[in-house]
This record gives sequence, C-alpha cells and structure tokens, in this order.
Amino acid sequence: MTKLKVGFYGITGCAGCQLSVIFQEDDLLDLLELVEIRAWPFIKDVNDDETFDYVFMEGLVATNEDKERLLKIRKNTKILIALGACAHTGCVPAYRHFTLQKNYAHLLYEKNKNISDVQPSPIDSFVQVDYVIPGCPPSKQEIRTFLKTVVLGNIPKSYDNPVCTECKLHNNGCLLEVKKPCLGPITRGGCNAICINGGLECWGCRGPTDDANLPVMVTILRKQGHGLKFIKDRLVTFAGTKMPAVRKLVYDKNNKA
Amino acid sequence: MGVYTLPRSQLHLFLAVLSKRSPVYVPVKRDAIRFEPYNGTIDFSDNAYFPIKEHFFRKRETILRFDGQKLITVRPTSSKKIFFGVRRCDLTALKHQDSIFQKQYKDPWYKAQRANTILIGYHCATPPNKYCFCDGMGLEEYQDLMFYEQKTQFLVEVTSVKGAALIKKYRRFFKKANKRITDADKHIKTRKLRKRDFNAIYDHHAWTAGVNKCLSCTACTAMCPTCYCYELHDELDTLKHGTRCRIWSSCQVKAFTRIAGNHVFREQREHRFKHRIYHQIQYFREQHGFDLCTGCGRCIAACPTRIDWVSIANKIT
Amino acid sequence: MIQTLVPRKVKVLHRFRETPDIVSLTLPKVGTCVPGQFYQLSVLGYGEAPISVASYTTKTVQFTIRQAGTVTNALANLKKGDTLYIRGPYGKGYPLKEYEGKNIILIGAGCGVATLRGVIDYIIHHRHKYNDVFLFFGYRNVNDIIFKKEAVQWKEVFNFKTALSKEKSTTCHDWTSGHITEVIEGLKLRTKNTGVFICGPPRMINDTVAILKKKGFTDEQLYLSTERLMYCGIGMCCHCMIRGKFTCKDGPVFRFDEIGYFKND
Repeated sequence: MTKLKVGFYGITGCAGCQLSVIFQEDDLLDLLELVEIRAWPFIKDVNDDETFDYVFMEGLVATNEDKERLLKIRKNTKILIALGACAHTGCVPAYRHFTLQKNYAHLLYEKNKNISDVQPSPIDSFVQVDYVIPGCPPSKQEIRTFLKTVVLGNIPKSYDNPVCTECKLHNNGCLLEVKKPCLGPITRGGCNAICINGGLECWGCRGPTDDANLPVMVTILRKQGHGLKFIKDRLVTFAGTKMPAVRKLVYDKNNKA
Repeated sequence: MGVYTLPRSQLHLFLAVLSKRSPVYVPVKRDAIRFEPYNGTIDFSDNAYFPIKEHFFRKRETILRFDGQKLITVRPTSSKKIFFGVRRCDLTALKHQDSIFQKQYKDPWYKAQRANTILIGYHCATPPNKYCFCDGMGLEEYQDLMFYEQKTQFLVEVTSVKGAALIKKYRRFFKKANKRITDADKHIKTRKLRKRDFNAIYDHHAWTAGVNKCLSCTACTAMCPTCYCYELHDELDTLKHGTRCRIWSSCQVKAFTRIAGNHVFREQREHRFKHRIYHQIQYFREQHGFDLCTGCGRCIAACPTRIDWVSIANKIT
Repeated sequence: MIQTLVPRKVKVLHRFRETPDIVSLTLPKVGTCVPGQFYQLSVLGYGEAPISVASYTTKTVQFTIRQAGTVTNALANLKKGDTLYIRGPYGKGYPLKEYEGKNIILIGAGCGVATLRGVIDYIIHHRHKYNDVFLFFGYRNVNDIIFKKEAVQWKEVFNFKTALSKEKSTTCHDWTSGHITEVIEGLKLRTKNTGVFICGPPRMINDTVAILKKKGFTDEQLYLSTERLMYCGIGMCCHCMIRGKFTCKDGPVFRFDEIGYFKND
C-alpha cells in the first residue's frame, strides 16, 4: 500500500492547530507510519510541495501572499482540509467583517506598505474545501480519527449534533440555567463538550450547526440581560463568517457598533 | 406485604449501614440534584436532574471488540447497586425500559446492569416541581421498598420479595406499623396531560409555538428517563483494533435519520420535535398499549427554552 | 444467551460487479428468509448496514449492494473468500402467499430492483401459482442496469419493460426513455386480483402510488419496500421509525395504508 502524501500548511493564524497535530506525542510515530508527510514548513526544513493527496490548511487568508500560497496548494492537492477554526470560519481574525473601518484603521500598518492585506476570510471564500476539522484548536483525537478514516479509504463523517448532546452525556448541568451565555445549543459538537466539562460556557468555536435556531438563541441571551453588542460579539468571535444570519439579526452596516 | 416505620433520625444510620455492602445511590444536592453514592447527605427537595436510566441503559456500551476481521465477544459485567429515593415516575420509566430491553429480545448488557439492583422508592407527597404531569400517566409499582415521608418518620411499604428480605436483614431499624397504604396515599396530584388521539392533532398549528422555540439541542431526549434510542458505531483504537459501541442517540437532530447519500428523512425541525412527543405518547401506545412517557417533566425542566409541550397539547381543542 | 446485536462470521462465496457502483455478493445463508427481508451485514471497523435479500437458494443468499457510504464501500471491496459478519434476517417480506393465484406487478427503480429480484426468483420457481406477472424497472442509464443476465430470462417469462430516464444513446431499443412512472401512466393495467410491489427512492414511490391510485388500485393492493437508517434491526434503536411503525420490524415491506405517502415525518 502506498502511503498517502500529506502536507500541513499554515497561513495567517496562531499555529495552534498545527501544534494540536504535533502534540499527539504518543501517537505521532504511528501516524507517520500511516502517512508520508511531504511538507510541513512549521517543523520541517525540506518541503516538497508538488503533489499531495491530502493537505491540512491552518489559518485564514489575510494577505495577498496567503492567497497566492493557498491557490497554489489547492492546485497541488487532491483533497484540501480546513484545519481549525480560522480556516473554517475565520475565527477571531475575521472580526473585521463585523466592525467598521474607523474602529481598526489606526491599527493598520502605515509604514510597511509592502504588507498588503485583504479582508481576512476563511479559506473557503477563495478555494474549494473538501473537509473541515473544526475547533479552536481541533482535538488531537479528532485529527487522528480523520487520518485513520482516510487511510482506510473511508469517507470522513462530520459530527453534526450540537455541543449539548455531548455535554449531557457528560452529566453537566446546563450553564444557561446559571445565566452563562453558553452557545452550546447552536454550536457543532464533536469536542466532547470540553469547555463545559471544565465549567466554561461554549463560545461556539466549531461554528454553528446546520440547523441552528439563531433567533431563539439570541432571545435566550437577551433574557439573560446581555446587550445586542455583547451578543453579536459573542456569536461571531469564533464562528466568524459562518454566522451569516448575525448580520441580519443583530448587526447592520449602519449600526453604531 | 406489610408496612413498617423508620424514624427520620434513623434514616442516615440506615443508609450508612446499607452502603457498607454495596454502593447506595441517593439524590444529593450538587449544582443540581443528582444520584450519587451515599456520602452522608440526601436531598428530597426536587426530583433528580438526571434520571437513573444511565445506570442500566448505559451511555456507552461495548457490544463487541475486533482485531482485524476477528470478532471478540464482550461479556457484560455488572455490580450490585442499590438506589434509594427513586420517585414513582422514574420507577415506572424503568419498568417501561425493561419492557423494551428485556421482553422480546433480551438485551444482555441491559440485563447485566439491571440484574443486581434494589430499588427503594420515595413517594412525592406534593409535586416536586411545576413541570411534573405524572397524574394520569399510569404510574406503577416497580420498586422493592417505597418510602412515604411523614413528619417524624418514614412509612416503608414492602412491595417485593427482595424488599421483604432487605427489611428482614435490617429489621432493627424498622418497626411494624398498623397502617395500610391506600390508593389515595399513592396518588400524586399534579397537572395532567389530556388523553386523546394525538394523531388527529399532528398538523395542528398550535405546535408551531413549540417548534419555533426548539433549539434541537437534544437535552430533552438525554434527560428523559424512558428515551431508549441508540446507535452503533465502530470505533478504531488502531487501524485494526477497535470496538463496536452502542451509544445514546437523539431523534432531535438530522443525523438521526440521515442515510448514505446525505438524505435526511426528518429534515424539518417540526417533524423532529413532534417525533419525540409522538413516540412517547402515541406511537408507543400503538405498539405496546401504554404510554412510554411517565410525566416526570424533565424534558420541560431541562429545555433551555422551557417548551411546555404539555400545555401546548392541552390547549389544542 | 443470544446476543442479538452480535453478528456471525461468514465468507464471501462469490462476488460480481453489476454496475460501476453496484456489487452482488453471495454468502452462505443464515436462518430462513423470504424476499423483501433484510440482513445486517458488517465489516468490522467500518460498521453495519442493512441490505435486503436479492435472491436466495437453500444454501446461499445473494445481496446486491450499491456503494453509497462507508460500509457499503467496504462491502463492495470484499473479494471471494473474504470475511464479513452477518445477522438476520429481519423484517417482513413481500406477501407472496397472499397473492397466489393472482396477478403481480413489480415496479422498481435503481437499486430497488434488487429487493424485487427475490420475488421474481420465487415466482419463477412457483410459476404455476401466479397468473400474469409484469415487471417495470427504471434506471438512469444503460450502465446502471443490474441483473442483465437474469433479465434475458425474465423477458421470456414475464411482461417486462425497462425505462431509462437519462439515457441519450439510441443504439439499443430494449427500453423506453423516460421515467418508469411515465411508462406506467401510459399503460392499461388490470386492477382486479392484482398486487403491486414497489421499491425505489421515496419520490418515485410517491409518484407511482399516486398514478396507480388514479388507475383504480386500492391501498390494500400496494406494497412498498422502504429504506431508512437502521442500527439494531429488531425494533429497539428507533432510527427507522415511520411515524409509529418500525421499518425493521413492521416493514421494510409495508402495505400502503400502513404508512401512507412519504411525508418527511
């Protein structure tokens, strides 16, 4: 059996998702037996980026360089996987979509004109993405399961249940009951409700489920006494551009955000 | 089979002695009331947040193991457990689960968990919370002992051979009482779910109020003491070794009816929302002759938006 | 102790590729089955899938599997002599006994023809017990046609029509172009003493039933074979419920009045 040719790349992002791959100390060697890592600029000196079967792409497009790189990689791989929340939703860096230019104008590079930025956007706004491994960062387990699945020639399944499903399986009490703005009900699960197990409410890092009932979620948060600005921020902090209804719901261009 | 009394002051002593032999699960106040092994405290102020279902129909059950294409059978293991303070709705729910897992097809994993249990009930003198609707849901006797709380003592009704044996063993705590527990004592007065043919009101617009508030978060099915849907998954440890697991499933999500090719049979939230309710109170009755639901009200109490489907259904004329 | 969810080990006796995405596997028979019932086939590590009986002899049973997901892909990749696991049979089959001495119409589309194959075999073996038998099978195009070899014999024995909805080439005239529902619509069918067995995708079943009802068939004459997500096969996991009915236990073959039209609920 020929090994799958795999590449790991990162564009604008914190590299945490790539670390999530590296941190599988116990299984890393086993993984290397399954796949041939052709390129991983983050940890490898010599990178051969000609042809891949699978490329895991972390980060989002924030500069023209990112864009060029992404387009080139897309051409060279059969399957492109968005690794982590930035690549999937845009996550925190994509917040520029939800604020007015005057709010961030003073933060832009003024002297270094060679840094040409684009509106930070997840990679699926530029290229076709075949699979998504969501999460900020994705769990080690999830990445491993994904690799095993594709090595066996299977179709990776996405987990579509909300976070609540797994949260209840961990016997957690509902954080909404104690007035915490938990986004569990509308957020895609698969994370084993790790935040709620530790007492932290869900921030929605895995993006909304495909049938998220957003109006009701907003109503709940409003009833808890949160303002529109808080709700808007909370909804898009991690879910980024994958929370399109937010704009219609609590945000419009003329809003004095 | 007889009625005994246990002074209130003796309850903790009794539980302490009882828990020396095997873990006694009692309702304990944590962030919510939960069944936990007895540790000196007990709380009857409300019904337990989670039902005892998970101790029998467990969240994750290993059906078999495999090594390549070699199947390794897994023998179910069980340990002795005593449950104290289980309310009537949960006892009835257990009976319903028994009728699913132990009737036509004997489920060995469920049976193993169920085999070594003693159930000690606690009778609700008043409805523990405003969501209960067990009155008229056909609650039954399914315990070994039943505790009725009174001012200074507990009346203990023996309802099974196992219960009688338990009393005999710990006879020093109990005094024989000259009282009979009547049906009036057993009655819990709560709000009611109107009995009717629910098929006739499936398309009624009143359901929309509930549907629109539903988040499809699956809390209702996970908290339900009777919901018994499950799914089987092959999980790989390495590329060859792994287990086939049975895990809980919820009809509130699309994945519940999604088949290969990405076709979802219950696509709309409306149908998923109604499916749970209808399975509980209509479909199950069609198949088994009685309601699956026991009226514990957890699906309403656990719902982040408190969708009170009972009043929605009751209001439909 | 019978462990109902634990399958038995069998080996593939024969494998035949029907179309680019459909494979037939012949396995040793487990239990006794009738056409319309299904077995749960599994490849360890991949999962389990309910597959209906395509045909059977006293010692073997054949499954015709369309590659649609993980399990069916794994099943289709098996070779002769490979190990797989099986449990069953489950469900209710077609009411062949009830329709002895009467006419039978079989309507199938795509892989749905596979479940009807068992009925055809049964009728061929007991030809004297049935009157007129009509077969109406629809496929997308020539490449999708399954049981090409067997169809030669079927043409001799039965009134047999094939419709191809997406075929453009006109080199072969064994078929009508268009949907099978259109073919049925254009035909005169005797409704008296006739049973109709239908298997196909939900929309095709709905359309077909509507047409047949217009032609005067009653609910009691129409039998549908349905498909749902299933895990247990014994009426416990509840994934296959069509309203109050379990596809695995009360079906997969339902009389039309039991479940009505597919409504997504």
